[in-house]
Amino acid sequence: MELLEQIKERYLDRLSPATFRSRLFWKTVEGLALSPLNRPHWKADRVSLAYFIRATRDAYLRRAPVVWCNLLVPSELVLGTGCIPFYPEMAAAVVASAGLAPRFIDHAAEEEFPSDACSYHRCMLGCAMEGFLPEPDLLLAVNYPCDSAPLSFGFASDLYGAPQFVLDVPLPGREDGMNLLAGQMAEAARTMAGLCGRTEREMMEGLSEAVELSNRALGHLRRVEEMRKRDDCTLDGDEAMGNVSVLAGCMGSPAGEEFYRLLAEELRERGSRGDSSLRIMWMHLKPWYSQAIFHLLREHGARLVCEEYTHATWEAMDPRDPLGSLAAKVGGHFLVGPVERRASHLVRLAEEYRVDGAIHYNHWGCRQSCGGAPLVKKALQRVGVPTLIIDGDCVDDREYQEGQVSTRLEAFLESLR
Amino acid sequence: MGDDRIAWFCAYAPVELLLAAGLEPVRYFGDPSRIDDADALLHPAICPYVRACLAQAMQGSGPHHAVFVNSCDGMRRLYDAWKELFPEDFVFLLDLPRNAGKAGERVLAGEYRQLLAALRTFRGREITRDDLAAACREREELRRSYLRLAGEASGAARLRLAQSFQSPPGSAEGGGAAACAHPVAKAGREIPVLLTGNLLNPAGMVSLLEKAGARVVWADLCNGDRAFAASTLAEGESVEEIIGGLAAAYLERPPCARMLDAERRCRILAENARQAGASAVVYASLKFCDSYLYDFPRTRERLRREGIPVLRLESDYADGHAGQVLTRVEAFLEMIS
Repeated sequence: MELLEQIKERYLDRLSPATFRSRLFWKTVEGLALSPLNRPHWKADRVSLAYFIRATRDAYLRRAPVVWCNLLVPSELVLGTGCIPFYPEMAAAVVASAGLAPRFIDHAAEEEFPSDACSYHRCMLGCAMEGFLPEPDLLLAVNYPCDSAPLSFGFASDLYGAPQFVLDVPLPGREDGMNLLAGQMAEAARTMAGLCGRTEREMMEGLSEAVELSNRALGHLRRVEEMRKRDDCTLDGDEAMGNVSVLAGCMGSPAGEEFYRLLAEELRERGSRGDSSLRIMWMHLKPWYSQAIFHLLREHGARLVCEEYTHATWEAMDPRDPLGSLAAKVGGHFLVGPVERRASHLVRLAEEYRVDGAIHYNHWGCRQSCGGAPLVKKALQRVGVPTLIIDGDCVDDREYQEGQVSTRLEAFLESLR
Repeated sequence: MGDDRIAWFCAYAPVELLLAAGLEPVRYFGDPSRIDDADALLHPAICPYVRACLAQAMQGSGPHHAVFVNSCDGMRRLYDAWKELFPEDFVFLLDLPRNAGKAGERVLAGEYRQLLAALRTFRGREITRDDLAAACREREELRRSYLRLAGEASGAARLRLAQSFQSPPGSAEGGGAAACAHPVAKAGREIPVLLTGNLLNPAGMVSLLEKAGARVVWADLCNGDRAFAASTLAEGESVEEIIGGLAAAYLERPPCARMLDAERRCRILAENARQAGASAVVYASLKFCDSYLYDFPRTRERLRREGIPVLRLESDYADGHAGQVLTRVEAFLEMIS
């Protein structure tokens, strides 16, 4: 039985905000994670699970200042200052995986957050209003990939009485843009270091160390990417998509390095799969509450060989200039700026991973991904990659039309044969 | 001969720079009746104003040279679609920081510098300090003219007037004082309200409010009074000084809900409501606008703490289904009267 199911079975009915603030709860969770009952498909998953359990426990038990971050906030920046990064969007995905999202989304609706907004954020706000999330000492958002985080963090900032900081990432190619961003990051870092009682020197040392750890993880991630390009790679996208949490939240920690090292090693060891599946690229994220799409893909001899968000999008950083390097990492992300950058990233992936087709999962309420989907599709079609756009929702299973999705997916896969 | 007109969409567009380049800035309000035409390039869950603008451009109505402000996901997606449709035209994306204050001003002034450089190349001529100073004065005179004319106007007439001042008088969008001459059937009694939100259709939601008995005495909308509420007149001895002043002035104006300082926005709203003698705030915004979707719950709380009743409404820009909204507005007005 999966760990999550174990936790669900033992605790779900008795969940309360106090549960997450109990040492006993976390001891039990850690015990379950280490138990033989928990058999992850990949050794690396044990590392990331242990890391996230520890970090989340420490956030609830307030063992260090907690900083809420959205997906593009580099974890190195927060870890390097001694704070605990907490990613509420990832928490929403976990809540959805546990089948609990509708309850919190409904709570948010009662507070007049309507269904037209992103369900990651509605779920997160519902959890926050019920007291289920660790209280932030600071909320730090990057103004990309979407408007939702700076805006929903604004509400949470009022709710908790904690300050909000928004990093305004400049448009690509702007003169002095990276210096301006590095300056904002320095200000955010000083605020976080101040929360931890660290001096400027200690802060810079912490950031350099985090950047060094991140660089080592990046080296292993590059190896993983090279192996995933092979025909016989055994890591499929439905599993790999979960690694977006590692890419966003573990970089700059020893766990990030260890995770990608183990993954690369195991990919090498597992060797050949040798099938002739259709090679599919997945765009945006997946429905976290259901594996039905992926079963269907497998039934039709198709597998996901690459995904939009799980790849390295930056170069090795300079530990002597951690803030400048982190600015370049964030500022150079393909989701910053016009959609043509995102389209170029996806065209490159499609070519490097030799895909036969691509699927764009339109998460309802996501203006950045749905909004750009027609143009991404055009860009992929220009290089001969047939593309299917499916409307759905990553978090709210009530918005997932299984029959409709299956029909469209089957027709698409047939057309690729 | 090239088209001297240039389109703009967001209230943060620095129209002064476009005027200084000798261009004729035309604000798009889109075609609410043809929104679905935009489906091929923009998902239906994107701001209907953005989609209506694309639909209008696809019909060939209005200029294709355009300046976009990176103020929200919707605007950025409109820029993307526009570039795809009109690759030969002058299409510029201007960044807008969420942070005001000195850091924000520095970023925005840098953006103005970039836009000026692009305009110089596009127009093939220098843009001098005198061009900029004259453009700033022209905008300020226009703003004052609007405020004089809008003095007694309310509701849809006020909004039409505001829209007409956002495009040149000769254009289809610009109608000057004549824009007031659109009578709306009104209820017997009128309750003064402040209307806040993003961008509304004067022929739709705003007319409906009047029909229900609300008199909109201040339209804190990005196609309404917000653009005229504060001066952007910038002066200086050099181009640099003027664009620095402009950046500060644009960030000082009553903010859109996408800006970081929500407390300031609410303070301004409450002050405006009191000054205009409004009995309540009607918070109405277009569907799929995240800035206002997320802002509403906390703004409502802040306004309630000030003792100001608030009604929430949503518009699809075409506003074809009026009955239910009318009933809700009537019930609200009944409650506060």
